[in-house]
Amino acid sequence: MTASSTAYAPATLNWMAQEDAPERRVCRLQGAWNAQGLAREPNTHLPAGTRHVTLDASATTLDTPGALLLVRSMAQWQSAGATVDVSGLSPPQQQLLDLVRQRALALPSAARRLGLLGDIGRATLIALNELRALLAFVGELVWRGAPLLLQPWRVRWREVIHEIDAAGLRAIGIIGLLSFLIGMVMAYQAGATLATYGANILIVNLVSIITLRELGPLLTAILVAGRTGSSYTAQIGTMRITEEVDALRALGLSPFEMLVLPKVIALVITLPLLALFADVMGLAGGGVVAAVGYGVPLSEYVARIPQVVGLKTLVLGLVKAPVFAVVIALVGCMQGLRVAGSAAAVGRATTVSVVQAIFLVIVIDASFSVLYNLLHL
Amino acid sequence: MNAADLVIDAQGIVNRFGDVVVHEGLNLAVPRGAIMALVGGSGSGKTVLVRSLLLLRAPSGGTLQLFGQDALAASDAQRQALRQRIGVLFQGGALFTGLTVLENVLLPLREQGLVDKRLLPELGMLKIGLAGLPADAAHKYPAELSGGMVKRAALARALALDPELLVLDEPTSGLDPIGGAAFDQLIRELRDLLGLTILQVTHDLDSIWHGSDTVAFLARKKMLAVGPAAELAQRDEPELVAYFRGSRSAAYLHEMTHETNSRG
Repeated sequence: MTASSTAYAPATLNWMAQEDAPERRVCRLQGAWNAQGLAREPNTHLPAGTRHVTLDASATTLDTPGALLLVRSMAQWQSAGATVDVSGLSPPQQQLLDLVRQRALALPSAARRLGLLGDIGRATLIALNELRALLAFVGELVWRGAPLLLQPWRVRWREVIHEIDAAGLRAIGIIGLLSFLIGMVMAYQAGATLATYGANILIVNLVSIITLRELGPLLTAILVAGRTGSSYTAQIGTMRITEEVDALRALGLSPFEMLVLPKVIALVITLPLLALFADVMGLAGGGVVAAVGYGVPLSEYVARIPQVVGLKTLVLGLVKAPVFAVVIALVGCMQGLRVAGSAAAVGRATTVSVVQAIFLVIVIDASFSVLYNLLHL
Repeated sequence: MNAADLVIDAQGIVNRFGDVVVHEGLNLAVPRGAIMALVGGSGSGKTVLVRSLLLLRAPSGGTLQLFGQDALAASDAQRQALRQRIGVLFQGGALFTGLTVLENVLLPLREQGLVDKRLLPELGMLKIGLAGLPADAAHKYPAELSGGMVKRAALARALALDPELLVLDEPTSGLDPIGGAAFDQLIRELRDLLGLTILQVTHDLDSIWHGSDTVAFLARKKMLAVGPAAELAQRDEPELVAYFRGSRSAAYLHEMTHETNSRG
């Protein structure tokens, strides 16, 4: 079927008019009507005034791309009012043409693009759906978790301990270092202004209030969301792809009790402790800068902290930590459990999980500030 | 048989992993237009053989001619050209998960830069139609397809470059018997319509007895027997007896003797 000399020649149509009848033309196919020969689509327009085409395909090789183009061109000529005769096709080529005629499918239109308004609407619906899913998940946590509070021996404490180790102990280094650095930065910024008024000692007030009330817990929550929340999503998401989650269900075990609850409990225990540690390190960072840069003796810095911030400030900051913990663990687990399909879905879910968790943590932090303000705390 | 009519002509193939010899002097000849089933017990080296035939693994010894060309002595460019003439359906489908069915089918065409871009979508739809998928499957992602549709989508991609040889690795595994029979039917139809040659690795008794012209039975590190299933069922080698006269083959044997009787 394939003549090697013409296998790569570009496909062309050679029109020849008959002298006595200008409206009758012979169209001779030349070159290779296969993938190689059709690297550029030939011009298939019907010459003006042609009423009758005799297609001569004897000198060509034909593959599915060629057959497709030929079928399409003949249909165009016919709809332009010309009659078409085909000659010179070998039986397999004729069969191929018939096959293409029968089996070609119209390209279904891709998902219809909406306008700006539609995009906004869809984004809103997606966001509302996510919110509803999260609320349903919170509901499930309460529904399944509450009975366990009365039967604490049913909680999988081994997993809880393991999660505390992974999310807490192994995060101490990075959280301590970053809190220390942020404490330093704050002290520098505060000191630069306060020193012009000779009020260097007030660095203590600024650093301790901001650290204890806001930055310690917030910074910890953001770091944990990026470090631990993402790993929850990736772990559970991969277990979904490999059908491990389904296997748990099929064995009569609850993925919620096995996977989600230990993580939530572990994070609720871990995050306040980490936040407390971040508070201490932040104050230490501020203290070093105050002592070295602005001449506030370390002993005075330490002695002044209890005078400017009471236990109340510390508690108001730390109270937020368990709330952050629940949100981070739930978002991480929920996104993991919602993974379906392919490896790419795990990556997407992990991104969504981190973004959502950090977003919610900051929104909740702001809500706490408003609440404290209303309560005059 | 004329050597030029052999799509695959492997002679004396040796495959060795360290001390373990998988194939020792294996011969396989697949004539143009055949539907050949490659059969053998688990661990008999079917996959290794197929990987050798697809030029994914260089055999430790022997000669291999594909479409009459010496494939083992070929340059990289020649091997690439040979591979383009072979379509492969991997067992799990191996569809690219980030691409829709249509994009999967068009990927080889696009990357090879062959056919004019304006023709591509239509050509892709033709292959999807040939594989027996409905049009609305074109924009679906592999994760949204059923097992049978994944196989068909993978077949559409294997057909993308108008191959002359189609190698199928367990095409009907994981399909229900009806879906499997439909797939066998589809393969036969494509062979007739497109003049394909088909080599399929299979464990499906239905495909072996009804879906193939010839069965190549791999055992004892070589091709123990090649022939129609009915012929292999008459042989007395213990491996063949176990495979073709076991309890699961009884129905096919019965059917065969029935046919012979009614004919005789």
